[in-house]
Amino acid sequence: MNTLFILSIQPGLLLLSGLIIIAILAWILWPQKGGLARFSRMKARSQRELLEDSLKYMFDCEYRKAPCDMHSIAGNLDISVDRASLLLEHLFSKELITLDDQAVSLSDTGRSYALRVIRVHRIWERYFADETSIDQADWHNEACRIEHNVTMEDTEKLAAQMGHPVFDPHGDPIPTAEGTLPEPTGVTLNHLKEGQLGRVTHMEDEPKSIYEQLVVLGLYPGMQIYITDVAENKISFVADGDECSLTPLFAAHITVELVSAKEPVVSKNELLSSLQVGEEAEVVAISPNCRGQQRRRLMDMGIVPGSLVSAVIKSASGDPVGYRVLGTTVGIRSREADLIFINRKK
Amino acid sequence: MNTPTNCESCAMHNKANLVKLGINLDEVDYVIAMAGNPNTGKSTVFNNLTGLRQHTGNWPGKTVTRAEGGFVFNDKRYKMVDLPGTYSLLSTSTDEEVARNFILFGQPDVTVIVVDATRLERNLNLVLQILEITDRAVLCLNLMDEAKRNNLEIDVRVLSKELGIPVIPASARRRQGMTELLQAVEEVATGKYVCRPHKIKGRSAKLNNAISKLENSLAKQFPNLTNTKWVALRLLEGDDSIIEAVRTGDLGSISAGESGIQA
Amino acid sequence: MDKTTHHNREEILTAANTARWELGLDFHDTVIESIYSDASQIARKTVKLKGDKEAYATDITIDKIVTSRWLGFPLMFLLLALVFWLTIAGANYPSGLLSSVLIDYLHPLLKQAATFIHMPWWMSGILIDGAYMAAAWVIAVMLPPMAIFFPLFTLLEDLGYLPRVAFNMDNLFRKAGAHGKQALTMSMGFGCNAAGVVAARVIDSPRERLIAIITNNFSLCNGRWPTQILIATIFIGSMASPQLAGVVSAGAVVGIAVLGIFFSLVVSWGLSKTVLRGEASAFTLELPPYRPPRIWQTLYTSLIDRTIFVLWRAIIFAVPAGIVIWLVANVHIGDLSLAEYFINWSDPFALFFGLNGVILLAYIIAIPANEIVIPTILMLTVLSSKMAGVGGGSGVMFELDSTADIAGVLQTGGWTLLTGLNLMLFSLLHNPCSTTIYTIYKETKSLKWTMVSTFLPIVLGFVICFFTTQLWQFFGW
Repeated sequence: MNTLFILSIQPGLLLLSGLIIIAILAWILWPQKGGLARFSRMKARSQRELLEDSLKYMFDCEYRKAPCDMHSIAGNLDISVDRASLLLEHLFSKELITLDDQAVSLSDTGRSYALRVIRVHRIWERYFADETSIDQADWHNEACRIEHNVTMEDTEKLAAQMGHPVFDPHGDPIPTAEGTLPEPTGVTLNHLKEGQLGRVTHMEDEPKSIYEQLVVLGLYPGMQIYITDVAENKISFVADGDECSLTPLFAAHITVELVSAKEPVVSKNELLSSLQVGEEAEVVAISPNCRGQQRRRLMDMGIVPGSLVSAVIKSASGDPVGYRVLGTTVGIRSREADLIFINRKK
Repeated sequence: MNTPTNCESCAMHNKANLVKLGINLDEVDYVIAMAGNPNTGKSTVFNNLTGLRQHTGNWPGKTVTRAEGGFVFNDKRYKMVDLPGTYSLLSTSTDEEVARNFILFGQPDVTVIVVDATRLERNLNLVLQILEITDRAVLCLNLMDEAKRNNLEIDVRVLSKELGIPVIPASARRRQGMTELLQAVEEVATGKYVCRPHKIKGRSAKLNNAISKLENSLAKQFPNLTNTKWVALRLLEGDDSIIEAVRTGDLGSISAGESGIQA
Repeated sequence: MDKTTHHNREEILTAANTARWELGLDFHDTVIESIYSDASQIARKTVKLKGDKEAYATDITIDKIVTSRWLGFPLMFLLLALVFWLTIAGANYPSGLLSSVLIDYLHPLLKQAATFIHMPWWMSGILIDGAYMAAAWVIAVMLPPMAIFFPLFTLLEDLGYLPRVAFNMDNLFRKAGAHGKQALTMSMGFGCNAAGVVAARVIDSPRERLIAIITNNFSLCNGRWPTQILIATIFIGSMASPQLAGVVSAGAVVGIAVLGIFFSLVVSWGLSKTVLRGEASAFTLELPPYRPPRIWQTLYTSLIDRTIFVLWRAIIFAVPAGIVIWLVANVHIGDLSLAEYFINWSDPFALFFGLNGVILLAYIIAIPANEIVIPTILMLTVLSSKMAGVGGGSGVMFELDSTADIAGVLQTGGWTLLTGLNLMLFSLLHNPCSTTIYTIYKETKSLKWTMVSTFLPIVLGFVICFFTTQLWQFFGW
């Protein structure tokens, strides 16, 4: 009759123990910050992870035609030089790399292994960007976490579902299942001259600290950039109508393709959210930051460049606003209306 | 044809010909697919023709599962497949995949596209996409009563000429235009009316270039394929079912012109 | 030969892939834009606006009124209150009629027939007292309110008013990480949670749909209103003076319903911040034109599609449950029936939460429909406290004509104001009925989310009841 014994305890004590139990459970199970989540993250990187990460890094060097040796590998993987040398020995014994003096290069097997890992990585990044609401700054990390643990089949299934994407959300091409990848194109932003117009095709997501800064500045692949001034330690440009400047170090992390000047220079665009009830405007573009299902739905509703929208009603609680487009009233939340560029009609 | 067509009284006489079959669909002469945007009264048209009673609400996206029904018209037995209502056929969502794949692989004899006359422009987005896939379609211009009430006038003849398919004005809620619709379906199914569907213009040179390159190799590999342009475009969109059909060669069998009936 | 064709086919795919790299990032958008540009050209040639009045001017005027700052919400509450009032008030009489026919008249008749053909007592017990009675209860209590609620709701839907409700309410739901259309699945849930779960189909973003499905159970459904009203009348209304009793108990019931809405929002928020954090979300809300509803069509389809559909599922689950109810009350081990064993065993545990063994058992075996919870509780109370002369014998669910009689039975069973309060809370916060659980599974096709939807409310219920009870005792009320 243990339960009866408990019943005879003071209700105050019971109340307290109930609260404590809930607090402990919350501490353990809380997502992201809870003990359980921390524990699973603390588990050391396995040998397989190191191996795959090093192959990926070596491929990246090869692709960008940068030199690669034991020290840069150790630095990139954040391991000691001793450990890196052990790792290289292991790779060599598996015939994944060839060693030539100081330089390390991939063997054909090694290259195709690396391409497989990169394919998995970029497909998952695409998935996080389009089909989930994971933060932009976390796509890369999540993909890094997942790339060593998923099977190729699962990834191929995912790719098929998403319509076999060929670019990751940073603008990088995704290698095919057979392991082909196009030659790199474009130049890094620090090579552009004053008055040139370019479109961002790639933003390097490593190191994370720099990438996060670029994201905070509101830069994204697909964005048009107009260079206004190039100084020794500062590159100034206009992006989506906003003045922006970067140090050459940061600018080197952005790849752009040059756009012929015939295309309209991006001027400061107004946002749909600024349209007042009774006003009319023409849609200029949907921000590339609006992705996946949300973007598709907006386009389904007729929000495409060139279509006319007018704000007609406002919800009793202020948000969303009802916009008339192609003969229908569509409710759009201000958060989404912030991602639609317009040209106000007078 | 024993029954005279193109007369004013046909609607009355033909009502008797329209025997509702319910869902007895073992042997049919023609398969009809029904596509359209959500909330265009597609289900109402479907119910009118088949005698089934799917719920129709004034709310986009009511029909989620694919419904099938049948009817007999002028001694011919028709099976009707109500596809999920979609705004487009270009994305990877399940609804759009079901609709897209049925129109391509299911090879319906006729595709009836139900559109909302009051929101024609937006609905045309889907219509033009369907006309890229199939050559045999009929447009049911539904909710004409509502369009009239709202002072909208639609030039049916010009619309039919522009799209290259029969256009039938209807008000399914009042059961108006149903017989004319069936007549048009019959004419397209029997080949009396030959559609010349509108094809999309105004694509960029870069895209057209890529499409025509693929079209050439597709035409070599699948000589009977009629809608190579669309298939090429789908390959560029990375459509998995089309990629698989090219890989396995199944694309060749659907283009042979057989009106295979697929469940 | 075969090898070369295969090779050629693969080559097409490779060429397509290379072309895609060359076409770049925004290729898909340009495809859509070219279609729209053709569409608008055709539309310009064919569509003309007659007269000088703008199309849908009336619709927009109505929209301006129903979404206006001052009138929007009052209009909405008025309409919804009207629907609920019509449902509760209108269902009273037909429910009584059905119950007198199916239970008071037909049940004894069937029993007589069974005796006449010398059916063994256990068989007539299982079939008539168990299976038949459960089905009869479900029909009598469930059918009339649903047959009123669903057509009314469907009328509002066909008219086009409901999307405007979603439009007005969206701000609140956005803050909870949910979709405005959840306001509708929630209101639908006040009629029936299973129908509310099905209604979540109109939300096309998977994350928001899941949130709407999981939290739908917090809408106090038709099956639970009578329990709430009865218990509130007995335990809470009786504390006030007789003139105010009605108002006080009605207030308590509304309070529970509002608490349900509160939990619905809080749990939505919690889910969207935790387990459903990573799921994609999208918001679009089309406001369709107003259309005059077709009354008969609506009546027909809402009866067939919703009422009969839900009722049928409920009966399917009620019949086996009826058999189980009869069996637990009649199968004896030694002196005690299974029910009494369970009640005695679980009582100490249940008292912990301010409930009792009878309530726990009733909620376990009455899982098919909340409607049969009260009759089961009454039967079990009489059984376990060995009252004589009340009800129809062990295993036969019953209800008494006067509230006072029910109060008498419950008080003999040891119920206090705290038990009543906890029952009201537990009735709001417990697992969905089996019909709803099954529907959730059908809609989500996921065992995981079905389990979450089932156990989340019941855990929450135990937690809330625990703290209510302990606080109550702590302050020595």
